[in-house]
Amino acid sequence: MRTVNAWRLMRFGISFGALYAVWIVFTASVDAFSLFTGAIGSLAIAALTHDIFIAQHEASLRAFVPRPLVLVGFLAFLVYSMYLSSVQMLVALIRGRANPRVVHFRTRLKTDLARMVLANSITFTPGTITLDLNDDHLTVHWFLATTRHSRAAGDIVKGKFEDRLRRVWS
Amino acid sequence: MGIVGEFIALIAFIAAAIFGTAGIVGLYRFPDPYARLQASSLCGTTAVFSIFIGCLALASSLAIAARLLVIIMFFLISSPTGGHIVAKFAWNSGIDPWRPERTERPRRRWWKRA
Repeated sequence: MRTVNAWRLMRFGISFGALYAVWIVFTASVDAFSLFTGAIGSLAIAALTHDIFIAQHEASLRAFVPRPLVLVGFLAFLVYSMYLSSVQMLVALIRGRANPRVVHFRTRLKTDLARMVLANSITFTPGTITLDLNDDHLTVHWFLATTRHSRAAGDIVKGKFEDRLRRVWS
Repeated sequence: MGIVGEFIALIAFIAAAIFGTAGIVGLYRFPDPYARLQASSLCGTTAVFSIFIGCLALASSLAIAARLLVIIMFFLISSPTGGHIVAKFAWNSGIDPWRPERTERPRRRWWKRA
């Protein structure tokens, strides 16, 4: 019971800190009034949502604290792949040629946050949208499919993202 | 920033216009929800992201740039999530993904005159 309470307090503190940091960046002022209002708001929101923000079973700090440098690299790769896939989508639009398929595969990522980020990144990659995410099983609609083999499809769709994400979280 | 920033912003805004138009065209061109969502959500995300990059290049102070960065981060989280939720709804309601039909006309061989 003690550890559960301590973990809850810690989650509350982390949520509060994140919210307050965003507040300070947004207001960009250090008045007493602004700081006070932000603290009250952050406290209220953290009290309401710390259970959703960081789930109770995510009991490892590596599960939600990223390695910053690797995260920046990952974001740069994400932006690059976003532009690449938009250009591919543009070409597919002009030529009117597509090969849509639904593929299934599994991911090796362990934490919820990493899986969520992987699902979101897959929505960015060349013409893929994540349809469903059950534990570690992903259902993906692939617009420019090149294969029907499910493991090969998994390697093509998620391969690069998964390798990078395993270094960011976990 | 000066002229370099304005040039970057110009390129970013042109890219945004192109991708935004492509998203709208895709929305009307494809027949089923998944393909429409592919075109519109992906190209829409890229267009809005390009506009943010252009704004970042034109940002006058560090405070505004920091705010823009936070907005970009939230947008990068929220936009694919929104697309995913619509796609998940379509998937759960059992809509069959569209397959383009192979309309291969029988090719007339010049050495086989019928």
